[in-house]
Amino acid sequence: MITVVGAGPAGLAAALSAANAGESVELIESGARLGGQYWRNLPNSIVVDQQALNHDFQSGKVLREKVQAHPNITVLLNTQVWRASHEEGISILHTISGGTTREIRTNKLILATGAYDRTLPFPGWDIPGVMTPGGVQALLKGNNVKAGKKIVIAGTGPFLLPVATGLAKYGVDVVGLFEANRLRRWIWQLPALLNNISAIKEGASYLHTLRKFKVRVQRGYAVVEAHSGSDGNLSAVTVARVKSDFSVIEGSQRKVVCDVAAIGWGFTADLSLAGNLGLMQQVSLLDGGTYVVVDEHQGTSQAGIFAAGEITGIGGSKLSLAEGEIAGSAAAGSETNTSKKRKLAKFASALLRTYPVGPNWQSWLKPETTICRCEEVTLEIIEKSVLDLGATDSRTVKLFTRCGMGMCQGRICGRSVNDVVARISGKPASDADRVSSAARPIASPILLGELAQIPIVD
Amino acid sequence: MKQPDAIVIGAGVVGSACALGLAKAGLKVVVLDRGPVSGGTTGAGEGNILVSDKEPGPELTLAIRSRNAWFEIADEIGAGFELEAKGGIVVARTQVGATALSHLAKRQQRAGVQAHELDRSALHQLEPYLDPSIDFGFHYPADAQCQPMLSAAQMLKALRSMGGEVITGAAVRAIHTKDSAISQVVTEKEKYSTEIVINATGTWAGEIAQMAGSYLPIAPRRGFILVSAPAPNLIRHKVYDADYVANVASDSTDLQSSAVVEGTKSGTILIGASRERVGFKSDFDVSILRILARQAISLFPILASVQLMRAYRGFRPFAPDHLPVIGEDGKIKGLWHAAGHEGAGIGLAPATAEIIVGQVLAREVFMDASPFSPRRFIQESAP
Repeated sequence: MITVVGAGPAGLAAALSAANAGESVELIESGARLGGQYWRNLPNSIVVDQQALNHDFQSGKVLREKVQAHPNITVLLNTQVWRASHEEGISILHTISGGTTREIRTNKLILATGAYDRTLPFPGWDIPGVMTPGGVQALLKGNNVKAGKKIVIAGTGPFLLPVATGLAKYGVDVVGLFEANRLRRWIWQLPALLNNISAIKEGASYLHTLRKFKVRVQRGYAVVEAHSGSDGNLSAVTVARVKSDFSVIEGSQRKVVCDVAAIGWGFTADLSLAGNLGLMQQVSLLDGGTYVVVDEHQGTSQAGIFAAGEITGIGGSKLSLAEGEIAGSAAAGSETNTSKKRKLAKFASALLRTYPVGPNWQSWLKPETTICRCEEVTLEIIEKSVLDLGATDSRTVKLFTRCGMGMCQGRICGRSVNDVVARISGKPASDADRVSSAARPIASPILLGELAQIPIVD
Repeated sequence: MKQPDAIVIGAGVVGSACALGLAKAGLKVVVLDRGPVSGGTTGAGEGNILVSDKEPGPELTLAIRSRNAWFEIADEIGAGFELEAKGGIVVARTQVGATALSHLAKRQQRAGVQAHELDRSALHQLEPYLDPSIDFGFHYPADAQCQPMLSAAQMLKALRSMGGEVITGAAVRAIHTKDSAISQVVTEKEKYSTEIVINATGTWAGEIAQMAGSYLPIAPRRGFILVSAPAPNLIRHKVYDADYVANVASDSTDLQSSAVVEGTKSGTILIGASRERVGFKSDFDVSILRILARQAISLFPILASVQLMRAYRGFRPFAPDHLPVIGEDGKIKGLWHAAGHEGAGIGLAPATAEIIVGQVLAREVFMDASPFSPRRFIQESAP
């Protein structure tokens, strides 16, 4: 029996390849449907043109149907793994589903828990109406809801294009599409990028569609401040031209009126379960994110645990599919072919180099800018904890200020706090500090009443 | 070579209090810690300043003085560390428990602790969400709360303003003695010549003692704290079951747990106090989390519908006789231990520092501290 956690591209591919190799597979997904964030799809009751929302919808549909129909695969939807541990080759997953808890023991585990939008704090980012591209797209793809009427899309990365395209096709007024990185970065990476013609074509088709809706990508611009109207909701954003290190070119600021700003800076891997399981993690030199360390066959530092997809490095759906397939085969003890993965990984690296996050995003911050939204911790408070109270790392700053202790458990602010503390203290964040800010012994909240009712297993 | 009057090893709450006390007495103090400020047990504490859970005796005397000393320190350094006289409520659910609790409370009262017996209506007025079947308890108004990490940091800040030095990330590599007296402390970066070393390293105090050529039987005991999602105004005091009192003094290695439940200013609810002697193993065992959840719900049924958001774990240092170790080492002159407070270190830190400062300077202290003396272990260490 092979257990797969996460039914996005990597998890689906892993489940299918393991099942095709003759193994029985249990696929655990926290959401209500297969597909994950990438192939987030509407319930059948809502009839819309799914294809319009997701360029790649058809291949996702085929894969989901194969997984659903496979006799070797049991799918557990709406099932959250709230805590996991690993001892002597056995992984223990504690799940909760509709109020029922369960303990799953497995000696073959494939972790494919994916990633979520990376956010950066800036003045006004806590105003209602400031969202992430992933959040805006999830509303559209998963709930058929338009987040706003006049939307600004900003940040960096190739993901901004499909989000803008989907919104435009759905009749939303995309009042601005601001990509912080310039075109020249793209040209520098051209040889590696040309490795993947289909992805280039996909990008070109988004640009083509956006032109039809008169949406132009403005490169070298960033949203550096958000403003609220009399009702407290977002009324406008300040957009500025930025240098390659993301510092603002003075005099370039202008206001853009909008009711929603979807701002994303790439992705952050969801490492909660990886941390529970004690998987070795490391900080990537490419994008500064923390990822699970895997070998060529997606094996992790723990015996019997494999990892695939975005938690091993941000690389998009195609790479996730390739990694999932390898992980599934490797877990089943079959031959793996890693050549496709290697090619896609080169492309993914080139993309990450094309869309870096410049360190001077921190120059957008004001002393009173909130860094941790859940606990309302401002830059000023963090500065004080370092300069005044002698905190030397993010963990200590957290203990002094409560930043990262709120409902999101540092999912949103953890990485930014690492960067902010590093700048203030003049000491780069250690890998251990970065890994520890993603450590969450309780991977997702559980009711105390549910926890109390877990049966005793000896 | 630097020549401080005293070196304090450990930048937790006990070390910070000792360092501040010595600096106030005019000594040039350097605090060394292998990690950051509050990086050990202090950083995994609830911030309990309790008198309610101590049996009458030396530890209670220490606790009563320490509780008041916390409020004096807060006034003196004029900095916030969320000190709050929240008050404790201890309940009993059985006849046996009620008898034991009454008996303990009476003895505590004689020792100077304020404890008010509560009947059903008084209890439920103080804690409206308490299980309606609970009809007996005691209110201890002196029980208090602080933010332990900030407490240490603020005391160290005050220390620096008085010319003291705090060096973090500086692990002590060697402690040299000359004629069985402290002479030198060596870290990776620096050598210090000094005659006084305060060992405030909590669970690691045994290692420091050994480094200096002595012996201290301090072992770690694991404790978990659950933190709920914000659920403001449900719980107003530190509330726990009377079994807790028996548990602290337990010699058993089996898990015995009686949750201490309290609401915090940030709206989260803390559920803590499981104690388990398992060395430095750091797993979060679901069975322990479950027991804590059960006990919390048995006190406050409403908690069943509150989410568990986070959990953390700390290692509480304890000596075989469960008494803190405060005083000069039995073998090495100039080596002073301030450790082994077993989950009460936050509360007991200021009075511990008063004993250390008094003894170092050969001044009179507020109590006979001989029961805490490390000399009690000399017999044990003899070959």
